[in-house]
Amino acid sequence: MLNNDPITLEIIQNSLRSISDEMFYTIAKTAMSPIIYEVLDMATAITDPKGELASAGAGIPAFVGALDKSVKAIIAKFEPEQINDGDIFITNDPYYGGVTHLNDVVLIKPVFMEQEIIAWAVNIAHWNDVSGKSPGSMSVDATEIYQEGIRIPAVKLFVNDEPILSVFDMLTANSRMPDFLKGDLWAQISALRLGSKRILSLMNKYGKSTYIQAVDSYLELGQAMAEKAVKALPDGKYEINEAQDDGSHLFVSIEVAGTSLIIDLTQAPEQSALPINLSRDGTMLACQMALMGLIGDRQLANGGCFRVLDVKTRVGSIYDVREPGPCGIYFETMIRLNDLIWRCLAEKITDSLPSGNFSSICATIMGGKHPDTGQHYSIIEPEIGGWGAGDGFDGANAMFCAMHGDTFNCPAEIAETRYGVTVGQVALNDEDAGAGEFRGGKGVVIDYVIRSDNSFLTCAYTRNKIAPWGLNNGEDGSVNRVEVIRTNGAVEEYAMASEVSLDTDDIVRVITANGAGFGDPKKRKTASLIEDIRNGYVSLEYAKEHYGFSVMRGGSHE
Amino acid sequence: MKDLLTKGIAMKDKVFVTTDVGGTFTDLVYLSEDPKTGRQQLKTAKVDTTPPNFEQGVLNVMEKANVDVNQIDVMAHGTTVVINALTERKGAKTALITTQGFRDVLEIGRGNRPDFFNLNYQKPIAYVPRHLRFEVNERINYQGEVTQALGLLPLANIIKELEDNQVEAVAICLLNAYKNPQHEIALSNAITALTDKFDVICSHQISREWREYERTSTTVLSAYVQPIASRYLSRLHHGLLEKDFIGQLYVMQSNCGVDTLKSAQQIPITMVESGPASGIWGAAELGKIINEPNLIALDIGGTTAKCALINNGEVKITSDYYIERSNVSAGYPIMVPVVDLVEIGNGGGSIAWVDDFNKLHVGPQSAGASPGPVAYGRGGKAATTTDANLALGRINPEFFCGGELKADMASVQTSLEEIAKPLGISSQDVARGIVRIANNNMVNALKLVSVNRGHDPRDFTMVAFGGGGAMHAAALAAELGIKKLIIPATAAVFSAWGMMMSDIRRDRLLTYLSAWDDQTLPFINEQMALLYQELESEFISENLTSDKTTFQFFGRFRYENQEHSIEVSLPRVLDESSIEAVRASFQQLYLQEYTYNLDNEIELVGLHLVGKADVGKVKLPKQQQSGRLIAETIKGEREVDYAEDGVHTSVIYDGDLLEPMMAFSGPAIIEQTGTTIVIHPNQTVFLDEYSNVIVELLKNKGGEHA
Repeated sequence: MLNNDPITLEIIQNSLRSISDEMFYTIAKTAMSPIIYEVLDMATAITDPKGELASAGAGIPAFVGALDKSVKAIIAKFEPEQINDGDIFITNDPYYGGVTHLNDVVLIKPVFMEQEIIAWAVNIAHWNDVSGKSPGSMSVDATEIYQEGIRIPAVKLFVNDEPILSVFDMLTANSRMPDFLKGDLWAQISALRLGSKRILSLMNKYGKSTYIQAVDSYLELGQAMAEKAVKALPDGKYEINEAQDDGSHLFVSIEVAGTSLIIDLTQAPEQSALPINLSRDGTMLACQMALMGLIGDRQLANGGCFRVLDVKTRVGSIYDVREPGPCGIYFETMIRLNDLIWRCLAEKITDSLPSGNFSSICATIMGGKHPDTGQHYSIIEPEIGGWGAGDGFDGANAMFCAMHGDTFNCPAEIAETRYGVTVGQVALNDEDAGAGEFRGGKGVVIDYVIRSDNSFLTCAYTRNKIAPWGLNNGEDGSVNRVEVIRTNGAVEEYAMASEVSLDTDDIVRVITANGAGFGDPKKRKTASLIEDIRNGYVSLEYAKEHYGFSVMRGGSHE
Repeated sequence: MKDLLTKGIAMKDKVFVTTDVGGTFTDLVYLSEDPKTGRQQLKTAKVDTTPPNFEQGVLNVMEKANVDVNQIDVMAHGTTVVINALTERKGAKTALITTQGFRDVLEIGRGNRPDFFNLNYQKPIAYVPRHLRFEVNERINYQGEVTQALGLLPLANIIKELEDNQVEAVAICLLNAYKNPQHEIALSNAITALTDKFDVICSHQISREWREYERTSTTVLSAYVQPIASRYLSRLHHGLLEKDFIGQLYVMQSNCGVDTLKSAQQIPITMVESGPASGIWGAAELGKIINEPNLIALDIGGTTAKCALINNGEVKITSDYYIERSNVSAGYPIMVPVVDLVEIGNGGGSIAWVDDFNKLHVGPQSAGASPGPVAYGRGGKAATTTDANLALGRINPEFFCGGELKADMASVQTSLEEIAKPLGISSQDVARGIVRIANNNMVNALKLVSVNRGHDPRDFTMVAFGGGGAMHAAALAAELGIKKLIIPATAAVFSAWGMMMSDIRRDRLLTYLSAWDDQTLPFINEQMALLYQELESEFISENLTSDKTTFQFFGRFRYENQEHSIEVSLPRVLDESSIEAVRASFQQLYLQEYTYNLDNEIELVGLHLVGKADVGKVKLPKQQQSGRLIAETIKGEREVDYAEDGVHTSVIYDGDLLEPMMAFSGPAIIEQTGTTIVIHPNQTVFLDEYSNVIVELLKNKGGEHA
């Protein structure tokens, strides 16, 4: 039997996926930080020798196409003879292949066979604290990357399978939470070791050339899949311009030309003095996610898919930041861009996408002293919110945004134990919004009752003034925000805030948006509306005003 | 009196019967022993499962096997009734009561989107709609202290709503009840004092572990199946009593043990994975009998394949279990003790299909029992793994399903050609491809339970069972570098057989977060003593006295602040030496699974107590040799395609005629009622004294460095 028959190639491709997944679960099991093992703010990948993404294991879609960029940065920085078997590289710097922000630390291991690199095993994980001006290393007012933490500019961490202790020492000295850092770092190392071992045994079984052929044909398959999805769109040039919370406007131009998707972002704001900038690599991620949303298949996401994309950016803009622009809160710009492309596609190009959702990471960072143990705690969490409705279905309630995926929220019982806060409620957001023939999904309301003085809140929410967008006459959703309810009853509202001080019994109330509706609300089935009212998803008043609901309704709108 | 009874029983044979209701078949294993002579009789039987009246199938199979119900001393029973009620949404109308502010937790879940590029992803629908989820004012903090008293004022209204809605079961899950259940108990008592119109079930009765969504989901799903499962068990018991059953009835659980009828009726959710659990337990027990403590158990059925690792005779029990979870769905957690297994959608009935990009896939869609594989001739058009095995000559078309069916090979050929066209390969290559891809999927699952947890499969023996286990196991073992494969004599009814080897087993899992040092030791001991006394007195109240029971403690440990823990066995009472001893064991186990150690302190996250009570098992009988010659067992020979191992003329053995001490070499096929065993070239076969088929893969060079 031939060794390079289609079945063998497919078996190798399946195995590549399972190796990425295994690396992923290794990190999930061993990491020290909840943001890694609960939020799954991490990813793993295998690339080909040139750094093309062969397969990815990811908790979050934003990271699926991230790691190829880190590998390419290593290849660009080091001469071939400087890269040896037994090396592990490390980077976190968006100016050195770190892609996102300093908290996301990438580890990279070349896999050698017969003195030749035949693959790279790579992973990324969000570290709790990498120094910088604020605890948690994400401040909303950093003006230079130097304020955001230690920069690890693609350096060696291991040589000859031996750790370079001076680098380890430097890393641990640059964290407010060195024990967490060590645990997370070793979790990533452990996954790389497993991954490279598995790649080698796959290659030993099928032979180097068959393996390489399998990877190449896998990338071609990804490309064919993406080409098919793009080809299904009508050719043309489409533009959209959307107002933002801060009064500015964002603009995107999408050109569909046969099997190419050209996204022009050159008409973008100048890079910001605030940490909301994206590296060009980060911008690519937002565009890749939008493309994959059209394809819809998680299993086959690889570097081949991204070949159909042509993204144009302008150096010095928020989408292509120049050093030393800060990037700590890059994710809100990334999700805004992704949402904008999605909106343009949904409004002008295709019927296959749902309407707008709460579309923000809603990064919520709280810290202080645990009232019972006296230890410092820090909560770093993305929030869940309401999703938009689509043609034929209501929006999903309470899910992570498009940048997050198989991400888990933190249980109240664990939060109370670990952080010493009291969780007052975890409920669906009962505000009325997002009416439609298919209605928007519900966001959430979560109360944290603070139990020690001198605590703080930092938050970064968008979609705070401009609500999620409805489709086909579906109504817009509601907005994201955080309220701080003081003991005297005063209520303060925040969306972007750094180190708001909190004392005992202050309540931090996270409120996330309800998603937008799809289709004319008047066309909603009466039976569905009656269930909505019965379940408290829609108030009677709102049903009357927006859906034309009345006791007599039944024939009038059906 | 007691002596008389003992003597009375001593006059007759001791009779054990186990019955296992599966999705397609209901199996029986019967074992009797003459207490005077020690003479034993073992028989097995199989009939169709009879939904929705599953108990009928049980009575049918006993009839088929000629079992005198009145003579049964012990009967153990496993059933899919719970998992069926859950997956087919045929449970009770269920309501939920939670702490104020938390009724939506059930619907919010954990917020995850596993199918993350699918922007139209729909969350699993909650088993209780929002209008049937109620809240009460009360608060217990994470340390278990009451910070707000339980307010029962709204209860009358809630009960009215429940009754008006014809609710049949009510789940109660209050925040932090894992730490202190007093409010759940008070609330439940208050409800049952006012009405008996529905079953009430509290979270602490099922789980004493943290994570409110998982515990709420567990409680709701338990309430949802409670009435249907309880009624089923009652009907079964009555059916037996009508046939003058006077023995003990036990029910198979998901933790590899059985439990009493009463206990199973109270918390039926613990039966959810009983079928796979008894098979895996059977493998572990078989290993003890034949001195093979390190095993990989593989169970291939019609729809799925399940595998589990047995390390040093121990199966791992965890509470990290979900139903309906996959790459594309978040599923529903059920936090009860379940054998730690990996299940994939690859069984004999798994359908082969070609995607838009001309890639061949196998499963997870299954042809099930109806229409079944194409070869059944019942209208199935899509080729399945079973059809591929027929086309390759592994299964004998003339001896299909034990000779009960004639395989429709013409249709099989057509279905394979259908797939061959877009792929541009021959239909024979398609059949090979289906088997190779199915095998690859299973190898990846087997790696998840072995290599991925730091175990080298080459150090393990494989035990394969279920209808399809023996067909694929030899290739899988070769791929993993496994040297020895065992197909049990009772492979086709192995779940029922495993039940025969089970003890009463109860697992108590408790979240208990604590530092691990001299200071905390007395508190931990206190908690352990409490757990122990609780379970021991429970056993004693059921007449399971200390001569019949054994207990084992485990601690769940992790590095401080880490999340996922490792289970380390603990002595009944801890002393100062335990601190270092446990730490050393933890480091060793941690290193094995995760390849590194840290200097960090370790902390205790939870306690796990296992209590077992012997139900008086009978020893497995050895098989007699009749002096039959091996030549008499040969049915003939045929061409068999071994996929990667080529096409070979193979001797066909009649498995039902094989006897202990017989030996031969592959390539060979052993055909026995209920299963076909495929022996590859370079593999040798030997039947042990129990008629288990032992396959040696001495020349195996496969596998990888773990």
